[in-house]
Order: sequence, then C-alpha cells, then structure tokens
Amino acid sequence: MNNSKQTVDKAAEKKKPMKPFSVHMNKDLQRRYRAEKWFQRSGIAAIVIALSFLLVLFASIIGSGYTAFRQTFVELDVHFNQDLFKNENIAAADYPAMIKDSLRRTFPEVKERRELKSLYMIVSPGAAFSLQDMIKENPRLIGTQQKVWVPANDDVDMLVKGQMKASEAEDNRRIKDDQLAWIEKLEKDGRLETRFNTTFFTSGDSREPELAGIWGAVKGSFYSLLITFLLSFPIGVAAAVYLEEFAPKNFWTDLIEVNINNLAAVPSIIFGLLGLAIFINFWGLPRSTPLVGGLVLTLMTLPVIIIAGRASLKSVPPSIREAALGIGASKMQMVTHHVLPLAMPGMLTGAIIGMARALGDTAPLLMIGMVAFIVDIPGGFTDAATALPVQIYLWADSAERAFTEKTSAAIIILLVFLICMNAAAVILRKKFETKW
Amino acid sequence: MNVKSIFLASALTMTLMTTGTAMAARDTISIVGSSTVYPFSTAVAEQFGKTGNFKTPKIESTGTGGGFKLFCGGVGVEFPDMTNASRAIKDSEKEKCVANGVKEIVEVKVGYDGIAIANAKTAAPLKLTRKELFMALAKEVPDPAKEGQLIANPYKTWKEINPELPDAAIEVLGPPPTSGTRDAFVEMVMVTGAEEFDFIKAMAKSDKDKFKAVSETVREDGAFIEAGENDNLIVQKLQANPKALGIFGFSFLDQNADKVQGSAIEGEVPTFEAISAGKYPVSRPLFFYVKKAHVDVIPGIKEFVAEFTNEKAWGPEGYLADKGLIPMPDAERKQVAEDVAAMKTL
Amino acid sequence: MELTSHLASQSFPTLPTYDFAASLDKTETQAARQTVGNPFLENPRMTCRDVAVFYGEKEAIRGINIDVGCNEVLAMIGPSGCGKSTLLRCLNRMNDTVPGCRVEGEICLDGENIYDPSVDVVPLRARVGMVFQKPNPFPKSIFDNVAYGPKIHGFTTDKAELDNIVETSLIKAGLWEEVKDRLQEPGTGLSGGQQQRLCIARAIAVSPEVILMDEPCSALDPIATAKIEELIAELREQFSIVIVTHAMQQASRVSQRTAYFHLGDLIEVGPTERIFTNPRHRLTEDYITGRFG
Repeated sequence: MNNSKQTVDKAAEKKKPMKPFSVHMNKDLQRRYRAEKWFQRSGIAAIVIALSFLLVLFASIIGSGYTAFRQTFVELDVHFNQDLFKNENIAAADYPAMIKDSLRRTFPEVKERRELKSLYMIVSPGAAFSLQDMIKENPRLIGTQQKVWVPANDDVDMLVKGQMKASEAEDNRRIKDDQLAWIEKLEKDGRLETRFNTTFFTSGDSREPELAGIWGAVKGSFYSLLITFLLSFPIGVAAAVYLEEFAPKNFWTDLIEVNINNLAAVPSIIFGLLGLAIFINFWGLPRSTPLVGGLVLTLMTLPVIIIAGRASLKSVPPSIREAALGIGASKMQMVTHHVLPLAMPGMLTGAIIGMARALGDTAPLLMIGMVAFIVDIPGGFTDAATALPVQIYLWADSAERAFTEKTSAAIIILLVFLICMNAAAVILRKKFETKW
Repeated sequence: MNVKSIFLASALTMTLMTTGTAMAARDTISIVGSSTVYPFSTAVAEQFGKTGNFKTPKIESTGTGGGFKLFCGGVGVEFPDMTNASRAIKDSEKEKCVANGVKEIVEVKVGYDGIAIANAKTAAPLKLTRKELFMALAKEVPDPAKEGQLIANPYKTWKEINPELPDAAIEVLGPPPTSGTRDAFVEMVMVTGAEEFDFIKAMAKSDKDKFKAVSETVREDGAFIEAGENDNLIVQKLQANPKALGIFGFSFLDQNADKVQGSAIEGEVPTFEAISAGKYPVSRPLFFYVKKAHVDVIPGIKEFVAEFTNEKAWGPEGYLADKGLIPMPDAERKQVAEDVAAMKTL
Repeated sequence: MELTSHLASQSFPTLPTYDFAASLDKTETQAARQTVGNPFLENPRMTCRDVAVFYGEKEAIRGINIDVGCNEVLAMIGPSGCGKSTLLRCLNRMNDTVPGCRVEGEICLDGENIYDPSVDVVPLRARVGMVFQKPNPFPKSIFDNVAYGPKIHGFTTDKAELDNIVETSLIKAGLWEEVKDRLQEPGTGLSGGQQQRLCIARAIAVSPEVILMDEPCSALDPIATAKIEELIAELREQFSIVIVTHAMQQASRVSQRTAYFHLGDLIEVGPTERIFTNPRHRLTEDYITGRFG
C-alpha cells in the first residue's frame, strides 16, 4: 500500500503529462524495434549456419559414399570341371582353380607365373564363393560351362570408379600397367560393368571390401535396440510414473532424482564397464552378443527415458487429475486411464531420443566385445554381433582404399535409420494425439 | 490398453533372458588381441569360415596387452581361445596366465610387420637414421656443446640435426601410447637411436630408470603429434601437409603407395622384400597364442591354426602377403608349422 | 491478515480502501468466531463439526460447524482466501491429494464420518461428486466422458444400460439435445458452457447424493452461466448441492441457504433471502454491499 502511494506521489510531482508520441518515446520505440529485428536476424543466421554445416556434412558423406552402392563385376566363362568335384563335399571343390582356369582361357597370351598372379588379382577372392553358392543351389551345373558375373577385386573397382587414377605413374598405383591393359580389354568386350551392389546390403563383414556388407551390423543393431526398447521403455515409464505420481517427496526421492539426472550425463563408456562387470563377469552372459549390448544400452537409455517421462507427466494439466479423482477413480486408474495416455507422446519422444543415442554409440559396446570382426550374420540375441556404428568404426580403420567409400556408405545407412526412427516418432505422436 | 501389453511383453523378455543365461558350449572361436595382427587374423578367419565346416571365428581388436589380459583370464567358454600379439608374451603375463589356470599356451609366430616413417609423395623422399630420429623426437637430447649433458630438445628443423636433411620444421604424426605401433616404434627406433650415444648407453647399466626415461620419452612441444589410432587419418594428414612425416604400419604404406612414400632408414627403404629379408631395421615379429586347454573343446581351433600356418595363407605368395604381412623365411616357416601341428607349448 | 487486506485493496483500486483489521476491535474479532445464525438443520445430509484444516503449519479454516440439507443448494461466499473452497474440498476428501493438508473435526455423510480410517475415498467420491472451476472434460469422446464413472465403479457391463445411463445423465444436465448426434466426438470440442454441463453430466452419471461445485461459472459467459444456474435449480430436486461462488447475485439466485466465510471463519449462515436483505454481521453486510472484495 505504501508503495502504491509513493508512485502516486511521484506521478503527481511530475505534473507535466507525457505526450504519447513525443520524440523521446519515438526514439525509444525505434530502439525497441531495432532490438527485435536484430534478435530475429541473429536467430535466422544461427539456423542458416547450422543448416549449412548439416548440408556440408551430408554432401561430403553422400559424395564419398554413394559409389559404394555400385560394384564392378567381371564376366567369366566358368567351366565347372567334373574332375574338380571328386570329393563328396561340394564345398571342398577347388573353386579358385575354376576361376583361374577361366581367366587363363580369357587371356591365353598370359603365360609367365608372375604375370598370371597379377591376372588372378583382377577378380575378387570372393568369386570362388559365388561359384560355390551356385553349385550348392543347383548341383546339376557340374560339368557344364556357364557365363558368370563375379565381383572384381577392390583395386579394380577403385580404378573403374575413378578413385584410382590410371594417369598416375605405375609405381604409385596398385593396378599395374599389364592389369590395366587386361581391364581395358574386358571393358571393350563388355565383360566388365558396374552394377547395384546387393552384397553390401545382404552380407556381413569381410576383409575384402568388395564382399563386405552392412546386413550383419544392421541385424546386430536391431536385436540390441529391440532389447533396449523392450526393457528401457516399460521400466523407464514405470519409474517415471512412480516417482512423479506415487512417491512421497522426501530426502530419498530427492536423492534418486539427483542420481538419475547424473546418470543421464555419465559418459557411455562407463556403462560399458558396468555391463562388462555385471552382465558378463557376474551373470556370465555371453560376450559380444546383442543381449549384453541391449542390456548395456538399456542402462544408458533409462535415465533419458525417465527424465523425459517425468517431464511429460508434469505437463499433464492437474485439472485432468482432479476430474478423474473427483469422479471416484483410484490413483492407479487416474494414472493409467488419463495421465499416461496424455503423457505418452512425450514419453515416446524421450524414448526415441534415447534409442537414437543408443543406436549411434560405440563406446559401451567396445567393453563388452561387440567391436569385433564378425562375418556370420547374427540370427538371434545370443549370437555374436556388431552394431552399425561399430562397423563404421572398424571400416574406417581398415587399410584398403575401398573401405573408405564403404565407411561413408555405412554412415549413410546409419543416418537413414536415424531419420526413420525420428519419422516413426513423429508418426506415433500424431497417432496418439489424434486418437481423441 | 496398449500400456498393459507393453508391460506384458517386457515381463516376457525378462523371463526369456534369465532362462537363456544358462548358455552351454560355444561353437565359435573367440580371438582377441593386437590391432596389428587383426587384419591378417580376420582374413584367415573369413577364409576359414567360408571354406570349412566351422563358423567364422569372432575377432576383437583389443590391443596386445588387452588381449593377454582377457586371454589369461582363465579356462572356459567365457574366455577367448586365442590372442593376437605384436610382441612376444611377457613373463609377467605368463605368470598371470598360469595363476588363472591357463598353463599350456602354444605360441605361433606368423610373420613380420614393418613400421614405416613416411611422407607425402609430393615431397622429396627422406633418408634418415635412427639416431637422427631419436634426436628429432626425444624429449631430452645430448647437448651438442657439452659432452655428456642432456638438454631439452632444441631442434626445430631437420637441417639442424643433419645439414643434408631438408630445412623443414620437424613435424611427425604418430600413434598414441596405447598403440602397439607406438611401442614398437619407441623400442626399435628411439631406444636404438639413443644407444648411439655412448653415455646414454652406459646409463642402461648404471641407471636403468633414467635410461628408460631418456630413450623412451617423446617430446611434447608439438613436434610430435599424436594423431590417434586411425592410420588412415595419418595418411590423409600427410597428403594435406607434405612437410610432415607419419608413423604407421607397413600395410598402410602398401595400400596407399600412390599417396605416401616410406623414408629410407639406414639406407633401407621399407619394401616387402627388404623387410622379408630382415634388411629394413624397423620391423617386428607378429604372433598369436592358443590356449591348449580349449583345443578339443571349442570346435575348429586346430583347423584354424592349420589354415593360418598354411603356405596358401602365410607363404610369400599367400593371401596374407597381399594384406601386407611379411612372411618369415622358408626354414623358419617350416619349423613353426611343425611345432604348431604338434601343439608344442611354451 | 495484512497481506490479504493489501491484496483486497489493490485489486479494486477505485474503491476506498477498507482496512479490515482496523475496523474490528478486539471484541468483534472474538465474536467473529461465533457464527451468526443457525448452521444446523433437522434432517441434514452432511454435517461438519468443528472442522479445521491446516496446510502444513498454516490454519486455513477453523471451528466450522455447518450442515448441508437434502434437496437444497447451499451457497458459500466470501472474499478470496476465506476458506470456502477449502471446506468444499473437504466434503469429498479432495484435499487428501494436497501434500501437507490435515483435517481436524468430523464431517459426516448420512451420519457416517467420512474421515474415519475405515472409509474408502473411491466410493465416497462417487457419492459426493464434484464440478470444478474450469471445465475439465477428459480428452475422450462425449460418450466416454459420461460413461467413465459408471464403468470404473462397475455399475453395469451391459452396453444398452450404459447407453441409457449416459442418455439420462446428459438429459439431466440439459445437454442431450445439443450432443445426441455427436456422442463420439471429443468432449474438448464443445463450447465452454457445454463442457461444464458435460462435467455435470459426468458427475451425476454415478448417481451421487451431493454435488460440490467450485465456482462452476467463473470461466463462462453470461448466457452459459444462466443455463448452468437453471440446471442447478433443476438438479436440486434430486441432489444436495454445495456451490462456492464469487458472484453474489448467483448465490442469491440459485441457493436456499448462504454461508459467508471470512479468513477461515464461518461468519454467518442463514436463508439466502435473509442474508442478502438483512445481514446480521457487519462483515457480511460489508461484503454483500460491496464495501470490500
């Protein structure tokens, strides 16, 4: 009351009434508008800068990775020589010999041993496996002559894609002059072309870049994330609901809250160490498996989901709670019938953000043995597996030039998955929201 | 409600998982260890998995020390069957193995790896000695003015060390201390280089710790740059900066012959032939170790070892040579193959 | 006390300031604790005896004695912070959800103390329904809003019977004609007044004995308000209604009895007509004549 009196007194003192459009006020108004404009412009500038960084990132990754989706193939006339299938076991036949034989027949002029060796280098060591697969599928091919497209070696692939320059001095390139001549001849005969690289999407890791694929890593990531989601989402939601709706406010719940917030900021490698100690050494779960990976990622994701869940529970208006309680709903009914459905979109977003983080993380997997060379595609939760980011990490560390483009291609796949996950989040949210 | 079904599903997975814990035997060979041997070991594993009747072994790149730690953890399916190493097993590691019940270990020497000190192709090739490299990279070097005294490394350019070398700033990109390549570089270049100075060599007898500190400590004033474990990154940086030198494994030099060139060390350029003949001084043997107790328990170990020690793999014409492994001389290969076939333990 | 009078004077700056504390001498403050008029009824539905409510250390209301009769509308009026809403929320134990809230004394519904430890609040809240200040329909369909109460209390599992309950409730709430063709549309899509009537329908769908209304029209326009008031008059035939309101005209229009609260005390209670025409206590008079808000 005293205050209001004082202001009245002061106003009375000034006496002279302010003109609303006085020069002074105009100036002030302009300053205010300028400030607003300045703020808006810097906001736009920030967004533009962020977007251009993103664009540069995308452009460089796609630019260096798109070539990995194509692969050079060479056509060979393979004679499935009856003599080479003496053994009962089809897999034990000497397929490399068939490849070598067909290359020799394609280039009859090559005789000398050293030359022959570099001739064989044109075709991928994996070519023998594609022959093996053909015979496995159709044993009647034995004894026949077939035209077969087999993958070219990674160096040839690099040359064809222009990542290795034929104009370089011979010493400086892995493809030598004689090989260059053979490749040119193959190309002229229409026996060399680039095709869509299905291997990249269907096979596991390999030491040969032309045989390496992402599918094993994708499946590993899928199994891990499935476990992560199935565990972390219900546990996280339950924890958030209990803490937000039921738990009494006291020292212990405060302590728990502080700890959860701290956990969300803990570096992910710590969770890997914890997983190693508990899941592998103490529980005895198998190393390098999506099961353990999923559990570790669950630990990492849980705090994020709990925090997001609590925030979205808090945002549900109290009037809804009152309405439910006022009509005689029990607390549990209030939560499950009214509060949880309203909080669910926010919780899902939190979960997806947490899962996206889990999808892109390698550090915790390092400790539990998922950073490994694994060729076989995992068929379940307890098969050895890697994950997408791990595959990127491993390829980035490989000496072969062709792995550079594979690395970028794997990054593209990872980004596609992240985009899909975010899109799924948006769709799910929309669905939950329009339900009422 | 769907909330209920989610809870139900999670409860189901929980029970599934606890029952699934009792995992019995393992049918995949588990290999850990050195990142230097990793490219060779994986190549063998892939070949082995695709041609044989066994699953492809799982190989983790944990580093040599980390590999031994896991390998020596004990006997049982949860412990790896083999470990790769870019150096021979240490006595302390052997003791730890024995303490944990890993009593019989088979050592398999597989070949050599060279460490290249390289620069970009756009620059002139260098001729270096290990003494010069020590003077360029050690934290403390002998004072040129005062015999027998150490001073903080004063050299800024190569020319200051040897007038025949170019007048370019010393700038060397190398792996961090966690890397096996770094260990090998320090051991084979820095220590040998330090021993060229008589008074430092004398230290090895009188004051072992001091000798270690002087010969193994790399300068920290920016001339030596730790470029991370990724050798590809070092190759890229060399291309961008022709004045810099890089330290990495021979296989990366081999794969990037169009971008980088190895410097001659004591007159020897790092080539396949020079390393194989033992002429190139900066090379080291590579090994892997097999737990004998696992041999007949985990299927395929014997066959895997046989594949690795096959001429088709580790011979001069084998596929490991294509990957950059430098084979041992014929006689040595024969000897090792025989020992391994008999599962001769350490 | 200081604070509230400040607030009161500041929110109506045009009125001459009314210093409440100064206007009372000591004896009057003492007398204020003694309710003027007879708060007791012969045949009450609910009874409050010596009710005091504390929020932590703070005493919100004290020593309240009042009865709620059958088939009557009891209006509770008084300036902000006088405790009328607090008392209202005690009648169906909604105050239980407020942390640190403690209720002393005895509140009986049909002779049974609702604060007895053996009483379950869930059926109690079905018997004593509540309508809130802001319309708060569930974000579900109109049908589900009304059917929710009968469903959770297990009144019926039969679809036809449920339809029937929903229809009668909506009819009683005077909303049936407006929404009968769009029962599956979201309740939140209705206008404010319709939403509030939907909330009333939701409350009466569980056949309560008493309906508590906490300023039900404060968020509504005059036309919607008039409709709600009409509805209250009709509902009185079946239910006991306790309404908290800031609008004195509303209290005089809809209620049979009025209770005036001031700073946690029940100052005066009596037939509405008498309270508004002939208030006995000076505070009541000051309030209803608009001398202070």
